Amino acid sequence: MPHERSHIVSSYEQELEQLRAMMVKIGRIVEEQVGLALRAIADHDESAAEEAMRLDPEVDELEREVEGLVIRLLALRSPMGADLREIVAALKITGDLERIGDYAASIARKAIKAASGDGHISLSGLRSMGRLVRENLGRTVDALIEHDAHQAMEVWHADRGVDEHYVTVFRELVTYMIEDARNIRACTELLFIAKNLERIGDHATNVAERVYYAVTGENLPTTRPRGGSPTRVGLEEDAG
Amino acid sequence: MTPASMSSAELSGKAPAQDVALAVRDLNFHYGSHHALHGISLDFPARCVTAMIGPSGCGKSTLLRVFNKIYALYPGQRATGEVMFDGRNILDDSINLDMLRSRIGMVFQKPTPFPMSIYDNIAFGVRLHEKLGRTEMDERVQDVLTRVALWNEVRDRLNAPATGLSGGQQQRLCIARSIATRPEVLLLDEPTSALDPISTARIEELLDELKEEFTIAIVTHNMQQAARCADRVAFFYLGRLVEVDTADRIFTNPREKQTQDYITGRFG
Repeated sequence: MPHERSHIVSSYEQELEQLRAMMVKIGRIVEEQVGLALRAIADHDESAAEEAMRLDPEVDELEREVEGLVIRLLALRSPMGADLREIVAALKITGDLERIGDYAASIARKAIKAASGDGHISLSGLRSMGRLVRENLGRTVDALIEHDAHQAMEVWHADRGVDEHYVTVFRELVTYMIEDARNIRACTELLFIAKNLERIGDHATNVAERVYYAVTGENLPTTRPRGGSPTRVGLEEDAG
Repeated sequence: MTPASMSSAELSGKAPAQDVALAVRDLNFHYGSHHALHGISLDFPARCVTAMIGPSGCGKSTLLRVFNKIYALYPGQRATGEVMFDGRNILDDSINLDMLRSRIGMVFQKPTPFPMSIYDNIAFGVRLHEKLGRTEMDERVQDVLTRVALWNEVRDRLNAPATGLSGGQQQRLCIARSIATRPEVLLLDEPTSALDPISTARIEELLDELKEEFTIAIVTHNMQQAARCADRVAFFYLGRLVEVDTADRIFTNPREKQTQDYITGRFG
């Protein structure tokens, strides 16, 4: 957390500031990646898809840089209290953000494949799921940057909506496949996309949990409210 | 745990219900006109390591000095309040100081071996309180030297002067000397600040073993050491107890801002 007082050792303070700046950067890039991936699905925008994929190595590189700085801080500064929580949280959060980046790149790849055969498949459910995921991720990154525990707690709860959307989208896509076997190829890609969006939501909640811990020193409960899953409503069996 | 879920006893420095070796209540200490400790109330749970941390001059070493009444040697130094030990207030004038110091041992920052042989350094204190035969004394000496992991290093030169040992060995000898009288409480005042990292690691390892049997109160400026060795940590500032909690809590999420500033290195 940015502290009211500065460290007695100014180079330690500078390293913490550097870590915070890297977290802002990786958070914003990943957010952009997800936005681009969603545009690729919604608008069949190939250049957006390519840009989302192009950003992936940048995120990987930033993750390595954060790891290096965290190891340096742990080894040389022996951080305590809020500093320790922030530094350890940063290490774990970059892992989650990097995974979100991977999913965004994967969605972008699949969006290009699905685009050829999804002409008469309604993407409205997937679009609104994407909007919610993006919104939650944006709020999570804001909470990370602002060190806002309250906001982190809110997005942690909001992931329930993503889970509910996922069940609905799953059902829709399965229905398309049952109706016409020619939909199977595009729908399979779209199912993977929906699953990836759902996973992005999960990683965003992980980030929210770590922000909450870093700011307050308290853990959110180990289980969070969930909005159901295809398995639980018996859809995966139907799909098989 | 949130502050709201803490019992008032925990917040006031009282230990959770278990054996308490030393119970300090409303302790005030004066060096002449200087009021060094202000109304300290703090429990030292039995067979636990309690570390006292805080900036220089915060009163942590003074508190340690109260426990074996070293201050009584100096005119003008006085303590009021209560320090309950085995059912008695040790601040009472009627307390037998020799007996008290055999039951509450102390190890100082710099090793303080007596100018005599390694063997006699240990036997000296024991002879003051117990009459042991030669064999029993030999056994006692071997036992405590083994426990401080010094036996193998000195077994062939027990009659050599203790001052010939290295700093780390001397400090372990001092700890052996303190536990030879079979005290209940061991007070350690920055016991490793003059030692190299290997000797420090040996002492820390030793503390882990000793706490099975002794109640340990340690003053240290090394916060990592407090985090590693202590079960409970008390933070002092300007003669007041600011906060006491488990080491885990103090070093990851202390309640008080002053504690947070101190442990993160923001104290100005």
